[in-house]
Amino acid sequence: MTDSKYFTTTKKGEIFELKNELNSDKKEKKKEAVKKVIASMTVGKDVSALFPDVVNCMQTDNVELKKLVYLYLMNYAKSQPDLAIMAVNTFVKDCEDPNPLIRALAVRTMGCIRVEKITEYLCDPLRRCMKDEDPYVRKTAAVCVAKLHDMNPALVKEQGFVELLNDLLSDANPMVVANAVAALTEMNEQQTVIEVNSQMVNKLLTALNECTEWGQVFILDALAGYTPRDERETQNICERISPRLAHANAAVVLSTVKVLMKLIDMMPADSDFITQLTKKLAPPMVTLLSAEPEIQYVALRNINLIVQKRPDILKQEMKVFFVKYNDPIYVKMEKLDIMIRLAQQNNIAQVLSELKEYATEVDVDFVRKSVRAIGRCAIKVEASSERCVQTLLELIQTKVNYVVQEAVVVIKDIFRKYPNRYESIISALCENLDTLDEPEARASMIWIIGEYAERIDNADELLESFVEGFHDENTQVQLQLLTAVVKLFLKRPGVAQALVQRVLSLATQDSDNPDLRDRGFIYWRLLSADPAAAKNVVLTEKPLISEETDLLEPSLLEQLVCHIGTLASVYHKPPSAFIDPAKAPLRQINPIPAAKFGSSLLDTSSTPNAARNGSAAAPTVIPSQDQVIADLLSLDLNAPAASANTGAFGGAMSGTTSMGGLDDLLGLGGDPMPAAPTNSASYNPFDGLGGLGGAAPAAPPSQQPASIGGLAEIFGSGGFGGSSGITYPKELWLDASKAMGMQVEGTFVRRGGKIFMEMTITNRAMQAISGFALQFNKNSFGLIPVEQVNPAPILPNQSQNYTIACDTTGAVQVTTPLTNLQVAIKNDINAFYFATTVPLLAYFREDGQMEKREFLEEWKSIPEQNEQQFTLQNTHNMNADAICTKLQQNNIHTVARRQVDNQQLLYHSVKYTNNLNVLSELKVNSQTTSITLSLKSKNLMAIANINEVFQALLN
Amino acid sequence: MGGVMSYFRGLFGAREMRILILGLDGAGKTTILYRLQVGEVVTTIPTIGFNVEQVEYKNLKFQVWDLGGQTSIRPYWRCYYANTDAIIYVVDSADRDRVGISRQELATMLQEDELQGAVLAVLANKQDIAGCLTETEVYKALGLDALRNRTIQIFKTSASKGEGLDPAMDWLANQLQQKK
Repeated sequence: MTDSKYFTTTKKGEIFELKNELNSDKKEKKKEAVKKVIASMTVGKDVSALFPDVVNCMQTDNVELKKLVYLYLMNYAKSQPDLAIMAVNTFVKDCEDPNPLIRALAVRTMGCIRVEKITEYLCDPLRRCMKDEDPYVRKTAAVCVAKLHDMNPALVKEQGFVELLNDLLSDANPMVVANAVAALTEMNEQQTVIEVNSQMVNKLLTALNECTEWGQVFILDALAGYTPRDERETQNICERISPRLAHANAAVVLSTVKVLMKLIDMMPADSDFITQLTKKLAPPMVTLLSAEPEIQYVALRNINLIVQKRPDILKQEMKVFFVKYNDPIYVKMEKLDIMIRLAQQNNIAQVLSELKEYATEVDVDFVRKSVRAIGRCAIKVEASSERCVQTLLELIQTKVNYVVQEAVVVIKDIFRKYPNRYESIISALCENLDTLDEPEARASMIWIIGEYAERIDNADELLESFVEGFHDENTQVQLQLLTAVVKLFLKRPGVAQALVQRVLSLATQDSDNPDLRDRGFIYWRLLSADPAAAKNVVLTEKPLISEETDLLEPSLLEQLVCHIGTLASVYHKPPSAFIDPAKAPLRQINPIPAAKFGSSLLDTSSTPNAARNGSAAAPTVIPSQDQVIADLLSLDLNAPAASANTGAFGGAMSGTTSMGGLDDLLGLGGDPMPAAPTNSASYNPFDGLGGLGGAAPAAPPSQQPASIGGLAEIFGSGGFGGSSGITYPKELWLDASKAMGMQVEGTFVRRGGKIFMEMTITNRAMQAISGFALQFNKNSFGLIPVEQVNPAPILPNQSQNYTIACDTTGAVQVTTPLTNLQVAIKNDINAFYFATTVPLLAYFREDGQMEKREFLEEWKSIPEQNEQQFTLQNTHNMNADAICTKLQQNNIHTVARRQVDNQQLLYHSVKYTNNLNVLSELKVNSQTTSITLSLKSKNLMAIANINEVFQALLN
Repeated sequence: MGGVMSYFRGLFGAREMRILILGLDGAGKTTILYRLQVGEVVTTIPTIGFNVEQVEYKNLKFQVWDLGGQTSIRPYWRCYYANTDAIIYVVDSADRDRVGISRQELATMLQEDELQGAVLAVLANKQDIAGCLTETEVYKALGLDALRNRTIQIFKTSASKGEGLDPAMDWLANQLQQKK
């Protein structure tokens, strides 16, 4: 006997026994068997093999047995999708059972069976159940529609279930209405199946009062998605739902608050109605704070949002947010947050005395937050700053380590807010210098010393003591220390000369941290170049810090207020941040009128503007520090003395910080490789020039735009506009599924001597998107947009075309291939990144035409190894004239033509926007379709892909 | 003596007889089932899955399974073969085009081991429709003459009119009683 015997099924074992029992004649035995199967299923044994046998028990008049079989089906139908079809007939029959419980059971189970193959058979019974005489069946069917929609939205539409659900909204039974609205809301989250209209709202409002509490939540959530037509309707809705505020269920209360918050926004701000309504809103929220701690926490998180949106609602209720001794820590922390938000001149005394008390409690985290809170009160309420500072000083006297450290941190902020007012306490702070061991506290203290170096007699000694252990410090502290020493030097050059030398060399030579090193270099160069300018830069007047530091971004707040009473409001994150993006609701309840949105739009669009100007505010792609340095260094390129002093770098480091230092630092530019061994990030502009510019460093890239622009004007009128040049079709840059519904297609074209980015944004989301902003990463040609995208909103399912002028004055960083471009595009939801290629043609200059002699000289001067040969296919059999015309249209300029035997030799030149030339020779033979292309350039890199351009033009 | 014994067995109904009603879709299986059970014509829809009913005929209890005849469901017939005493194979006599398919399905089914002992009653249904195949024609078209080792009988029926079902059930009841 072979080993195959081990694989034949033995007709023994538990499954086999169960199978026999399931097929038994006796009903009792059958039922027992199904129970055993379910028991095995619930403990995780695989009993899917019994599927047909269990399904055969389905047609029974025993409700208990039927329920068990249904339970089994829900679990295993997915694993046996083919066999599941055998159950369909029974479902159909059960949906007509005289017993409504069985009808509902059947329709519910049907909804839970997610098997594509059988869904179509379930539509008829489902439709019948939606019109069932029994409300319980109807409401179950309503929910089933939502489940079906999740599986197959098209089917639901096709079969008219949406209309049937809509009819159910007018049902006499409030339970049915609630479930129908819940189903519609859920379906709407996937894709809009039906807009909430005023007729629906009336029905919902009628049903609201009679519903169960959870039904009320569903109805209120649906109301939140409705935008009333006019003020009267708004008021009407408010009046009809406000009694819900008195409900015992916290979910109902919060959902009501959510709707009211939204509606308040739509009414004139100063009306009496609003005043009354806001008065009504406070008590229910206060009531929530007497519930269990968990509910309190959820309520507090929501109140935190409400207070940020409308501080006036709870301004009178400060006392309820005072911390109780037995509150759990998470409640305490939230309460503290809200206390600070509510702190005002009239209640500050109370708040302060509370906070002072909290600062003496035992829980370290709570105490820290309390100390911080005192500082924030000082910043927020100017009149109280004196008392706050006094309180903080008292706390410092306690010498409790963490209290002192927190106090130092907040006092730094107070100094920022009220400069030159409380310097008297510096001495008290200095006494505690030794106890500071946390980076933030040390950094704050160092900042204070640096800022007030002229008033602290022994500032140099204090800083020196920190410098001793420079390398052991946290980066944050190191950076502060560097700045503080430079400040000290600028204020009291006499005492700090040696110290500043030491710190600069520590930061630039002995540190691996690029941030620190780069900051060191900047200071060094500033100091050596122009101490007066350095003074202006380093000791400049600082902008005052704002009162509220940890406010949520307005657009996020708007979004979160629309999600009051959901998990999003507890996390303070938009749902998309923690829900699987594929399942995330497309439509968000966010229809704030456009006018109200205006201010937040402005906020978002201001950032990209700043970024475009080359400042460090780049929000997305480029690390700000890098950008600053790149800018600084590229400035140097214009300096003719750039390569003067290559060797002196090391000497300057150890030498004095005289004017010579500037040259030394600039010396880096002339000799990038040895001087910038590890610093590739910040020196990339040089690499770029080294690679692209080759032996032509005399042409600073920043001078180009002017000349290009000028030429374009000249040529533009002369019919040189390149309208007949090749335009590449728009390609898909960003798919809607990856960018929360924003689809971006685009291409680059060159017109009239300028590069334009042609872009189409399509909104595939269910709500308008707006606030667009665009940014390019550093690239081979320094391409940057000089205009911004119009941030105006795009409505769902609409597209907008943009033409964005670009130029090549940006930061340069060589990419492979050269044409690569990384783009960041931002909208009001998020920022998205994608990579694309710019057609090389876009970088060919109109004025690239070379003189014959010039061409010849350059051709000769380029060594053989810089020549590459390609074979092109002349598929259309174009003659030499046609080829030249075609190339000329695309800024590949014909220099000369020669006839040798049967061959036409064509010479062309190309000039990139960075003034690099590529020379070409085409051998066109009238007998064959293949053309030999030779390309030459001083820089091999520049040749890359040009052959493809030629080929594309020939096709 | 055997007669007496079987009489008693019949009286106590020791075991329910298991009968399958099979056939192509639209042959009239579900109509036959309910004709047998309640004695009247019910409106039916295509059976996606199965129906099972208890039928009493002359003091015999049958558990009658009516399985859907659609192409997609036919593969699952075999899940129901075990312990089957008799098969009622229904043919739409008016559907000349698909008699061939019906013959194939029947042949495949009869090869199953589990069905070797099962009695086969073939019903040439829809005899009320003009121009339909006769009993003999159906017999030949299904290739029943070639079958060996099988208790088999063909009946002409019209389920909608209720004709011909009683002889078939009589025959089945007799055969099954004898088998015991």
